[in-house]
Amino acid sequence: MEGWTGKILDIDLSSRTIVEKSLDMEMGRLYLGGRGLGARLLWDLVGPQVDPLSPENVLIFATGPLTASGVQTSNRFSVSTKSPLTGTVMDANSGGWWGMQFKRCGYDALIVRGKAEKATLIEITPEGTALKDAANLWGKGVFATTAALGQNNNKRNVLCIGPAGENLSRLAAIMNDRERALARGGPGAVMGSKNLKAIVVEGSQKNRPADRENFKFMLYETGKLIKASPLTSQALPEFGTAVVMNVVNEIGALPTRNFQQSQFENADKISGESLADSILVKNQACWACPISCTRISRTKKGEGEGPEYETAWSFGAMCGVDDLEAIFEANMACNDNGLDTISVGSTIGCAMELAERGLVDTELRFGRADLLVETVHDIALRRGLGAEMADGSYRFAEKYGAPELSMSAKKLEMPAYDPRAMQGQGLLFATSNRGGCHMRGNMLGPEVLALPRLIDRFAYQTKAGIVANHQNTSAVVDSLVLCKFTNLAVSVEFFARLLSAVSGMDFKSDDLMKVGERTWNIERLYNLREGFSKTDDTLPNRLLEEPIAEGPSQGHTVHLAPMLEEYYQFRGWDENGVPTLKKKTELSLDFI
Amino acid sequence: MIDKRLFEQFQYIGRDIFDAGLTSSHGGNMSVRVGDRIIIKRRGAQFRRLVPEDFVETKLYSKDSGLMRASTELIVHREIYLRTSALAVVHCHPRSSIALSLCRDEIIPIDNEGSYLLRKIPVVSVEYASGSREMAETVAEALKSYKIIMQRGHGCFSIGETLEDAYQWVSALEEVSDIILKHKLLGEPLIEYRKHSESYEKW
Repeated sequence: MEGWTGKILDIDLSSRTIVEKSLDMEMGRLYLGGRGLGARLLWDLVGPQVDPLSPENVLIFATGPLTASGVQTSNRFSVSTKSPLTGTVMDANSGGWWGMQFKRCGYDALIVRGKAEKATLIEITPEGTALKDAANLWGKGVFATTAALGQNNNKRNVLCIGPAGENLSRLAAIMNDRERALARGGPGAVMGSKNLKAIVVEGSQKNRPADRENFKFMLYETGKLIKASPLTSQALPEFGTAVVMNVVNEIGALPTRNFQQSQFENADKISGESLADSILVKNQACWACPISCTRISRTKKGEGEGPEYETAWSFGAMCGVDDLEAIFEANMACNDNGLDTISVGSTIGCAMELAERGLVDTELRFGRADLLVETVHDIALRRGLGAEMADGSYRFAEKYGAPELSMSAKKLEMPAYDPRAMQGQGLLFATSNRGGCHMRGNMLGPEVLALPRLIDRFAYQTKAGIVANHQNTSAVVDSLVLCKFTNLAVSVEFFARLLSAVSGMDFKSDDLMKVGERTWNIERLYNLREGFSKTDDTLPNRLLEEPIAEGPSQGHTVHLAPMLEEYYQFRGWDENGVPTLKKKTELSLDFI
Repeated sequence: MIDKRLFEQFQYIGRDIFDAGLTSSHGGNMSVRVGDRIIIKRRGAQFRRLVPEDFVETKLYSKDSGLMRASTELIVHREIYLRTSALAVVHCHPRSSIALSLCRDEIIPIDNEGSYLLRKIPVVSVEYASGSREMAETVAEALKSYKIIMQRGHGCFSIGETLEDAYQWVSALEEVSDIILKHKLLGEPLIEYRKHSESYEKW
């Protein structure tokens, strides 16, 4: 294979049929793989009449043309589906080894449809694909399931759900390689609704570059820049993603106690630096990754991956907790149960505020580190109040009469940046196609870290174009499917040259940016078809109407309306946020 | 937060370096050592338009989140402070000196002022031209013996007790290089006027 394998595996769990199909290479050129390809396939396969937790929904696992090529971070893959949490188009991607191994099985994508009669697992090996009984694994945690199925990082890789997915928690992740997560939007619940416990892959094929000389040169050049960037060569390997905790707190952008404040007085205790000085055992890398940002930590309760910045924040500042050990243990509980740490921590933070306001009868209070792990288990098993929290903060807060206390956009819990302190981030969260998310572009770069250039974080005029470009770039990286951190060191031009070397086809930066824009637009069109509209491009009232009370971002709210108007104009959409025919034609989306 | 007076030093030196044509709009960086910490210009800030928010305070003896905003060359600055007695470091891109660094292993002044101040400026070469551990170690090691060095094809690093010291060596180096280039243009033999000038090579 040179880039694409040209094959898609299509499995219907209801009829137990396994079919191998050809990938339409025009689709490959227009959408590359991963998120882009997933969005395009989902458009055809899952319409507005489909309940996300019904057999008619699908899971599309997709790699990209660079996957398993040896390009830095070419280990990743994505899953696309209709989200049971948001009702939007959804994709989540993950690192580790599974994506690389699946590609080596000789497929660009795997479509899973229908619903198995009983607990089932899919096994893909050089000998073929088989559906196997998984009754003995149902009810087991992710760690036990992964071990039982023979996880071996370079040979055999396991993807599975935990109890949260089995119990259809809308916060359920799909886990791979034990502790990597396709986390956001509840894809684990979709997998659980299909009675699909696991997918095991063993591959033997290689993704060999078409132009070896150029490939070798581009690998060297890319590696050089990754090595030269202090972010990718020092900050992330030494401190992990939580290295930004103090930076974000310092500027007054760290959401604290369910976004009631924007600075956490004990942020340093949950920072990457404190992690390195306390429970960190070592750092670790995904396949073909020179960055090694993964944290391996240990407490008396066990050893495992994490916490990432978002997790340290969601169980930390968001819940008013400064106990790093408790945060890590809640992180491990999420990993073993198969849960999204951002949404779970944020939902707990929301419950804490509801409780402090006397709206919910629970012991949960800001600062109650001792209740975190138990609450995670309650959510996974739908026990007690956890049964309601398992559906996410919006549905939970709505049930108790205060949906405005859910810090979510399109019902997806927002990550660890207060948009009042970063105007562009506010626009980005409000317009994100999968809901409040920092992985569909992230304005931390330009608004805080001066990547590629520092811009005024409080300004809102002219932000729209920068946000849209970041969103498109993020769609490119997600469609290739590489790690976003490579983009801290190298630009899309490098990705285009790498893709040209691997595929033997000519790709320029602009070709890739067009893929990103096309992907963003088809996702937008999907959501519009589902009934979403301009009114859903918004943020919680707290961020729009309550100024930050003190600190470096004091007095600011998000100026969403003018940014949104400019954003629609920049995107070539009408005043209601609908892509125009001209824009659709320009992006080869005029079939919609 | 940077002290107002210290900020003014950075601001004046930054302005002078840019006005003297010693670096491009966003190129270069500078820092001072304050106890067990470093105050360094942030990545991408313009020398000519510095504001207090353009400075990052970070640890000297260990890394911290200062890495996220500090100049890409923080690793080099830190290594210099760890290996030398420097209290200030300036890095910029003087053009004539860069041109000379592309064809020489050392720059030896031919003018009197340059000879007196610098005697010899070594040119070091590393594979990774910016922000690498290899570069940090090579540059810092060279600065144990010299107050200013050139990195081939990239720029200079100079050290001093104050920012002004470090700036002076940069200014002097570029004058040295300009004079060498102008002398080359003349194409006439040098009439040596300095006793023991051959010793500069061994400096």
